[in-house]
Amino acid sequence: MFERLPVMLIKEFVQLRRDRWAMFRLIVPMIIQMFVFGYAATFTVSHVSTAILDLDQSQASRSLISHFVATSRFDVVDVARNQSGITRDIDRGTAVIAIVIHAGFGQRLENGQGAPLQVIVDGTNSNTALIALGYINQIVSQFSADQSSRASSFRASAAAPEIGISLQTYPWFNEGLDDRWFFIPGVIGTLTLIQVVSLTAFAIVREREAGTLEQIMVSPIRPVEFILGKTVPFFLIGLGDIALVTSIGILWFRIPFIGSPWVMLLGAALYLLAALSMGLLLSTFSQTQQQAFALNFFFVNPFYILSGFAFPIAAMPKLLQWFTFVNPLRYFLVVIRAVFLKGVGIKVLWPDLAAMALLALAMLTVSILRFRKSMD
Amino acid sequence: MSAGAPAVLAQGLTKRFKAFTAVDHLDLRIKKGEIIGFIGPNGAGKSTTIRMLCGLLHPSEGRAWVAGFDVDRQPEAVREHIGYMSQKFSLYGDLTVRENLLFFGGIYRVPRRDFNERMRFAVSMAGLEGRENALVRTLAGGWKQRLALGCAILHRPPILFLDEPTSGVEPEARRRFWDLIHELAAEQVTILVSTHYMDEAEYCNRIALIDRGKLIASGTPGELRARRLRGELFEISCTPLGAAVKVLTGTPGVVEAAIFGDKLHVVLGEGGISATDLPGYFGEHGIQAGPAHRVTPSLEDIFVQLVSGRRERRTLP
Amino acid sequence: MNVRRLFAMAYKETLQIWRDPRSLAIALLMPLMQLVLLGYGVSLDIRHVPLCVYDQENSQQSRAVVKSFVSSDWFSISRTIHNQTGIDYALNRDQCIAALVIPADFSRRLAATGTAPVQAVFDATDVNTTNIALGYAQGVVAQTNAQIADGWAATHGILPSLVGQVDLDPSTWFNETLDSKNFIIPGVVAVILALVGAELTSLTISREWERGTMEQLISTPVTATEVMLGKLIPYFAIGFIDAGFCLVSAVYWFGVPFRGNIGTLLITTGLFIVVVMGIGYLISVRIRSQLGASQIALVLTMLPTTLLSGYTFPIDQMPAPIRAITFVVYSRYYVTILRSVFLKGSGLSDLWAPLLGLSIYALIIIWLAARAFHKALD
Repeated sequence: MFERLPVMLIKEFVQLRRDRWAMFRLIVPMIIQMFVFGYAATFTVSHVSTAILDLDQSQASRSLISHFVATSRFDVVDVARNQSGITRDIDRGTAVIAIVIHAGFGQRLENGQGAPLQVIVDGTNSNTALIALGYINQIVSQFSADQSSRASSFRASAAAPEIGISLQTYPWFNEGLDDRWFFIPGVIGTLTLIQVVSLTAFAIVREREAGTLEQIMVSPIRPVEFILGKTVPFFLIGLGDIALVTSIGILWFRIPFIGSPWVMLLGAALYLLAALSMGLLLSTFSQTQQQAFALNFFFVNPFYILSGFAFPIAAMPKLLQWFTFVNPLRYFLVVIRAVFLKGVGIKVLWPDLAAMALLALAMLTVSILRFRKSMD
Repeated sequence: MSAGAPAVLAQGLTKRFKAFTAVDHLDLRIKKGEIIGFIGPNGAGKSTTIRMLCGLLHPSEGRAWVAGFDVDRQPEAVREHIGYMSQKFSLYGDLTVRENLLFFGGIYRVPRRDFNERMRFAVSMAGLEGRENALVRTLAGGWKQRLALGCAILHRPPILFLDEPTSGVEPEARRRFWDLIHELAAEQVTILVSTHYMDEAEYCNRIALIDRGKLIASGTPGELRARRLRGELFEISCTPLGAAVKVLTGTPGVVEAAIFGDKLHVVLGEGGISATDLPGYFGEHGIQAGPAHRVTPSLEDIFVQLVSGRRERRTLP
Repeated sequence: MNVRRLFAMAYKETLQIWRDPRSLAIALLMPLMQLVLLGYGVSLDIRHVPLCVYDQENSQQSRAVVKSFVSSDWFSISRTIHNQTGIDYALNRDQCIAALVIPADFSRRLAATGTAPVQAVFDATDVNTTNIALGYAQGVVAQTNAQIADGWAATHGILPSLVGQVDLDPSTWFNETLDSKNFIIPGVVAVILALVGAELTSLTISREWERGTMEQLISTPVTATEVMLGKLIPYFAIGFIDAGFCLVSAVYWFGVPFRGNIGTLLITTGLFIVVVMGIGYLISVRIRSQLGASQIALVLTMLPTTLLSGYTFPIDQMPAPIRAITFVVYSRYYVTILRSVFLKGSGLSDLWAPLLGLSIYALIIIWLAARAFHKALD
């Protein structure tokens, strides 16, 4: 039933081999992007530039400052002399955080009164601000604890017991809270999507523009044979690309890979099918390369933004959450992250795998149905 | 397909693109082994007709059968029996001569035992012996055209559709191309070829003149010449040409006046002005003119007359 | 440079844009669509973190702890589980991001010693969400503890130590509510303009090559500068309309505070559009095939703009070599400018550094673009 498929495949591979730059174009940008984006994509908050105004100059205030200096989360970039210096630092963006210790800070602590500590945060980057505020909270409570134990040992009286719940936290799957572990698998999926969709979309439109598609359409070849012939090479290229960037992730970025390579292979295969079908579908809506390009440009961007690659799907409005259900990248990200970090298998991942298979099937069917008609 | 059945039959074939009618109720009957030429200006609907006959476009109205199969309902069966060469050169430029032939042989499923012999035939027909491993994009226009024809007949189709196969090809290569077409016709291949070169029409067994989606005349070149001209054709040198045409329009006895190269072609009917009076008549209107010679009408003359006749009729109330 | 020739060129280009409604629609509608998708989609404000609860004690007090988590609006219970393996199951299947485990002796220990542990297990795959959820959990616990301490003081008559108690008095400037949309929407505007701008102009020249009209154009006395300006002026107008759309929706639809000066905004936006379109044009002149031009445009615009401009990922957190690369990413300057103008109300004098970067960029691009076309003539 696929007698003509080998002929199509031979032709595609001969063309690919003849294109001297093809291998270069298919591999080198992937590697470069993997390195650049692997390092660029991070929400880590460390070395936050911090300005300090110490109007107290007491032992306690110096001790508090040393708590800030001691962590790598904050870098003191300016020690201001007055309030306007602090304002200037924040206004100009020299510092994101300003800590103001008012006069009498140490004295109030000594007296057992609550001592206010003023913290100004540049909220422009709300995420950084939120997380930095959390760190400040931790540092300050650590400081408070140190102060009270020092005070109690000084007074040689029993420390007042800590009252309340102690929250013990266990971050699973990524104990070090290293967010590269989160992003690298995401970068792998995203790069593959962008590569494969545009390759496929252009491949067919190019034949249409060159006139060779018309020649093929008058032949008795069946749409399935033609479309498979066009996509199988890209499927293999895509698998190669995924293998390549995944190895970079494991060997260079040292992301743990605790799942089964077979589950990964299955997930990658289904994902590639879905991405290829998407490219095919876009190509059936374009008569010229320019249209294919515009479509590609405007579809791929939302697909990668609205996939959970960086922005949690749970944080999106309901309508957009529904949209993510037709996004193959959404499912692949679940699969690839689970395989890398959680080590779970098909028993857990089958709904996502099935969703990718379904999407691929649906888009492929529509493409094949649209293919014959597209000369009209 | 029985022996007497037509190779191509079209009844009321129509194609509309939104408000524009590209092909308008076209009837056509092509016998086996015939070379039929589709002649008409650009945009007349030649390509659209051929594409419908190949199953590339769905007819908006009417039906057509190619090799006995309905083009709209059995397009796959039609495709097994035809060869097609599109207006635009459509082989793979980044494949070699041999690889292109292998590819098209493959998708038409030419039997393995016949393939080598047919490929040799196609290569020699295209005059490309010894250049089998050259990339197709490096070939000159004439060779490309002949190779495209070679690809189109690899599977020995009984019917061949050639859509302006010679556009943009130099005259010498065009002659050689037509020789090939005649060789094929001698083997009982039915060939439908469209062109806008009037001189090529003379090579066809039969001609179908198409204008604005309608078939306006058909017949052998001889028949058309004899039947269609309503009067006698004269050639006359005069300057300025444009003014001369204007002067003759509406003059009694003038059926048709058209510029033909650097001369004027005038068709004179019964009664009214005679050929010998023409130079004097021009003189009265300040146009310098030489003597009028009687000439045999070319197909171009016939075509011009038919087309302009239709246009006049359309504008008259 | 001849004004009539320039006008003829610009007029012809405008006509071509006008006659191609599909492309015009893409140019005008797509930015709006992208703004809606990205404006809503790009959010880090995770609320209602799905929480699994494993309450081993199920006492009045343990239920009170659970309730304090739920009533905070930061968490919502997605599952109640009844054994340890249930946590594995739920976290593996993404049924929750955090799991709360209250030990069986919780209230007994609390009553006896005044303190008792509660465990919070996180699916730390998404580190940022984990960090935020962790902060929320600490906030909830701190609030609960204050109540417990009050109760403890009332029953035991002992006040918890106030020595060393620092009262944090945080104030957030510029984005007082810490709403991530105020941070992201200005960036989204920059990204959209970068994408649309490059997309629009990157094919203008290659299209003329492929249609064969370029040879005709070259044979006329039109100069390279006239071609460039004539081609860019109509697109510049479209770019400005797009920018207007996006900026107006940012303020009136998404409610991002606008504290700056319109003049500053218009000047910098104009400069940015010049850079973006200049880059598209440059690609177009250099690369004659549409496929090549589009591929390069994609590689040069989409990912760098979204990943390296600082619109989501803070540039100061990147390793030094990557940070160096971001200086070449023109969008980074505009993202900085937009945010400052919107949230800080910065004027031109505050923005001299990114403005200088953008201006240098514009000059280099225009110079290269004018030269590049000249070369293509021979």
